[in-house]
Amino acid sequence: MSECIVVTSGKGGVGKTTTSANLGVALAQKGNKVVVVDADIGLRNLDVILGLENRIVYDLVHVVEGECRLKQALIKDKRNPNLFLLPAAQTRDKNAINPEQMRELVAQLKEDHDFVIVDCPAGIEQGFRNSIAGADRAIVVTTPEVSAIRDADRIIGLVEAAELPEPRLVINRFRAKMVERGDMMNKDDIMEILAIPLVGIVPDHEEVIVSANKGTPAAYNEDSVVGEAYRRIARRLCGEPEVPYIALNKGGFWSNVKRMMGLSAGGAA
Amino acid sequence: MLELINKFFNKDNGSKEEAKARLKFLLVHDQVDLTPSQIESMKTEIMEVIARYVEVDKSGADFRLQKEAGGVALVSNIPVSRVTARAV
Repeated sequence: MSECIVVTSGKGGVGKTTTSANLGVALAQKGNKVVVVDADIGLRNLDVILGLENRIVYDLVHVVEGECRLKQALIKDKRNPNLFLLPAAQTRDKNAINPEQMRELVAQLKEDHDFVIVDCPAGIEQGFRNSIAGADRAIVVTTPEVSAIRDADRIIGLVEAAELPEPRLVINRFRAKMVERGDMMNKDDIMEILAIPLVGIVPDHEEVIVSANKGTPAAYNEDSVVGEAYRRIARRLCGEPEVPYIALNKGGFWSNVKRMMGLSAGGAA
Repeated sequence: MLELINKFFNKDNGSKEEAKARLKFLLVHDQVDLTPSQIESMKTEIMEVIARYVEVDKSGADFRLQKEAGGVALVSNIPVSRVTARAV
């Protein structure tokens, strides 16, 4: 049975597009047929993160307006034949499509794919309403910061008001060292506030920027800790039970001593 | 003792407690949508009603809006200085 998952956050810049791309890759590597849909019309970026920007001929708005067939607009990933991108239009705006059209589009995509991942734009307006229109469930991405968590709380309320099932949380840019010294909220702090189930923690790592520079999501790199975090999220999304979290606090001598003494609040992804 | 050890290791001493407290306050007030002066006058009126029945210690009264599973709750703790019912 195929499923449409919308990746949303409210606040911009917390890692929605990175998460969408990496989950697309990780789910496709597990043998699923996956399409990632860039719903950020006017500010497309998913094509760049996936390194597919030079292959775009048609986009989502062309499909909706009937200027091309859906298959013509889908771009096959150069590294994985199971992964496809439906790019957003760059020269139009959010009002170029409506939720009803999005629902139809997603229904069509679900016929041919196991997973449809929708990368939602920041904000709570038309772009958000379009993005959640065809979704079966939502992933809310946040970072361990006051502003991002506040917006995540708002988005969770809106997802629930739209009668989608309870969303699942991805905590991005997690810094174990800051958590250990009490300068960053840990997993339990965030979950206490947002009160939705966790689906993964992604460490803050330079790899993410290098991957974006190259247009190769970290999930393609077997040795990447960020890639591994996303691979584990993909396993959880596929219903694999009790996927362990990665130990993130490979700290120095004192953090190891603290951990042995059970004093450390450090994290795992 | 554990507290001392924790203090020594700097745990719970960092800025995250401040972040958490600010967030909790923010989320409640984002939902409730009352101005601080409206909340203040609600408190005053509630105190007035209670004071009609029992003698209360106004200075020790504590009102808080907090987020709970089902939504936002108004939690208050009002010390009663004399329980004898007053003539209404």
